[in-house]
Amino acid sequence: MESRIVEFANVLRRNGVRVSLSENMDAFRALELIGVENPTLFRSALRTTLIKRAGDIQPFEELFNFFFLGIGEAIDALDRRIMEELGLTPQQFQEMLEQIQKFLREMEGDLSELAKALLSGNQGDLERLLREAMEQEMQSGNSENLRYTPFTRMAGRLQMDRVQSEVERFKGMLQMLGQNGEDLQNVMRYLDERMRDMYKLLRELLQQEQRKQGMEMRDSSQRTALADKSFSFYTEDDIRRMNDAVARLAQRLKNRLSVRRKRAARGRFNVKQTLRKNLQYGGVPFNIQLDRRKKTKPQVMILCDISDSVLNASRFMLQFVYSIQDLYAKVRSFVFVSEIGEVTKLFEEHDINVAVEAALKGDVIDVFSHSNFGRAFEMFHRNYFTAINSKTTVLIIGDGRNNYNRPNDWVLREIKSKAKQLIWLNPESRMTWGVGDSEMPRYAPNCHIAEECRSINQLYKIVDLIVP
Amino acid sequence: MFRSVDDVVSGLGTQKYICNKNVATVVYLGTTLQKPILVEGPAGVGKTELGKVLASALGMELIRLQCYEGLDEGKALYEWEYAKQLLYTQILKDKIGETLQGAPTLQAAVDTIARQDGVFFSDRFLLPRPLLRALLSEKQSVLLIDEIDKSDAEFEAFLLEILSDFQVTVPEIGTLKAKHIPLVILTSNNSREMSDALKRRCLHLYIDFPGEEREMEIIKLKVPGVGDQLAQEVVRLLHRVRKLDLKKTPSISETLDWVKALTLLNVKQLDNELVDQTLSALMKYEADIRKASQELKTYLAEKKAHQGPTSGGSDSDHLH
Repeated sequence: MESRIVEFANVLRRNGVRVSLSENMDAFRALELIGVENPTLFRSALRTTLIKRAGDIQPFEELFNFFFLGIGEAIDALDRRIMEELGLTPQQFQEMLEQIQKFLREMEGDLSELAKALLSGNQGDLERLLREAMEQEMQSGNSENLRYTPFTRMAGRLQMDRVQSEVERFKGMLQMLGQNGEDLQNVMRYLDERMRDMYKLLRELLQQEQRKQGMEMRDSSQRTALADKSFSFYTEDDIRRMNDAVARLAQRLKNRLSVRRKRAARGRFNVKQTLRKNLQYGGVPFNIQLDRRKKTKPQVMILCDISDSVLNASRFMLQFVYSIQDLYAKVRSFVFVSEIGEVTKLFEEHDINVAVEAALKGDVIDVFSHSNFGRAFEMFHRNYFTAINSKTTVLIIGDGRNNYNRPNDWVLREIKSKAKQLIWLNPESRMTWGVGDSEMPRYAPNCHIAEECRSINQLYKIVDLIVP
Repeated sequence: MFRSVDDVVSGLGTQKYICNKNVATVVYLGTTLQKPILVEGPAGVGKTELGKVLASALGMELIRLQCYEGLDEGKALYEWEYAKQLLYTQILKDKIGETLQGAPTLQAAVDTIARQDGVFFSDRFLLPRPLLRALLSEKQSVLLIDEIDKSDAEFEAFLLEILSDFQVTVPEIGTLKAKHIPLVILTSNNSREMSDALKRRCLHLYIDFPGEEREMEIIKLKVPGVGDQLAQEVVRLLHRVRKLDLKKTPSISETLDWVKALTLLNVKQLDNELVDQTLSALMKYEADIRKASQELKTYLAEKKAHQGPTSGGSDSDHLH
């Protein structure tokens, strides 16, 4: 069983669930207590030891069903089918099996393990034998006998032909013993069906194995690459995984920040206050008074271009800003294409995915127009400029492609002089700034910082600028 | 201690806490393997409650630590009682004078005082906070660390140390080892993701809203006078309301409040004009109340159309 658990943990890992060695050990210990008889408890025990994030529960359930119930289910289904074929009640079927088992005991020693498991309907053994063969097959690495199909190779491994002849012999023996008619008929048919089932099972097992391999091949390679991938090449799958990356980035940032803020908070020794405070103790300085520096939580305004050309980068930034909201006194978020709209309220009321999708969907502004930075800036200046003060960091995300409209860079100049800082992150390569309708050469000099930001790793590098 | 999973179900059952096999399995493993349990899930599904009933079912003391932003070791673990130390020094002034009389120089006096250090930095002046109390308690206790996600990363890191070794080091005294390893329940509303290191040390339990059948059971258990029909209709309506886009989804505790209110008003079924007025027991926002009220109307209209409601779906053993 332990090797099965290890294997299962590996499958989980390959599907993006982080399972550590100590968690594996916990799973073993849990199963020692719980046992493996009751499937519900077995599942719960594995879930609680291996899965630590609510988001991983779904993949766990799928993989668990697939991994632990796979072949067992198939065997169950076959049993049910045979019962129907023969028109027996479960009880009659059980009786027949017992009879067969009795005969088998008399023949003890002449039969291979597989034949015994097959004929006596011993599911556990049957499953184990099939799995063992499968594992050997996997380890042998297919180098031998590539002329044969996997099915043929497996049949060879399991010595199916031997099992076949054993079953025939068993049938002969039964006839010699002279059972009465109808029962014998049934048993004969049962044996034939069983043999046929064996091949079916083998096929099923091979298919499952291939599916499992398929699952294992998935996405481990991409996971590492995501950080370096340019936003514009994101696939659907990448977008789903973005959440994870954002969360990690935000957490890292918060850790660094909280250390920085702690240090800043520890002020210098204040003699006057200390003396006054400790008069009650006869002037013995028990309570040290330090100058607390005021914690200034800065404010952020973020302006996201959500035209198609930079959609992924904007999505990422919106998610990122959402995740670090609590670092700031106030976060105001705006989205624009040619008009600009505020999405702050969305961010306050909904959870991250709902909020970001709603912001991008065009509930707030018309997203199907052509980019017009100049117009958006002008609108921003008219409606929101008064909200900027010397504590505000203004962050603009966009490619600066203005469709040859009026650039209105004066707005940026005004923001720059009023705000604490003005940062422009451009998801386009610096090489293309100023080519075509890109207004970056006009916009960039009017910002404190203008940086290329095309991937998560680049964001890592500049993230320090954004935070207090 | 619990002897089996079923034992947990019945043990918590005596405390009027209905739990399914999954929750029971995790609790059984946690108590037996002495591993902390991290409980996550939406607000009001009975995460904190689980810690409380666990304590009362096992007849242990419940020690609760409520986390918040800025919680530090001093508040969670221990503090020195400066005032008390000072009081003692005042009272012992003469005694100190005697002790120092034989000292010829200042240096000697300081040395003499230093030798007495242990008097002032001892358990006597240590003010244990919840974590230390849980470690030093004479009997095994249940330590409930509530809303761990509200605490800072530093506190989480510090907690890690305690949860792995169950000992703390007080610089002036030395290392204090746990007399009994407490059963630890941590709850989190997931306002931030806990670190992997913490999660590795814990068993994980996700509690979701219960299925209709189970919620019925809970209502009947907690509100004894409730009529069958009312309980059934409330649960059915709630499962529809929870699917709406609300600011705050009604939790189990709010459901119970509402049912209690309805029962007090002697309401037997939902087509009663009083029902609409009591929705404020269930909902906390005006906009939500409006939405729920709308849903209630739709529900009643459908009920009229069908007339003669059929019973709800079957109870599965899984909440997921």
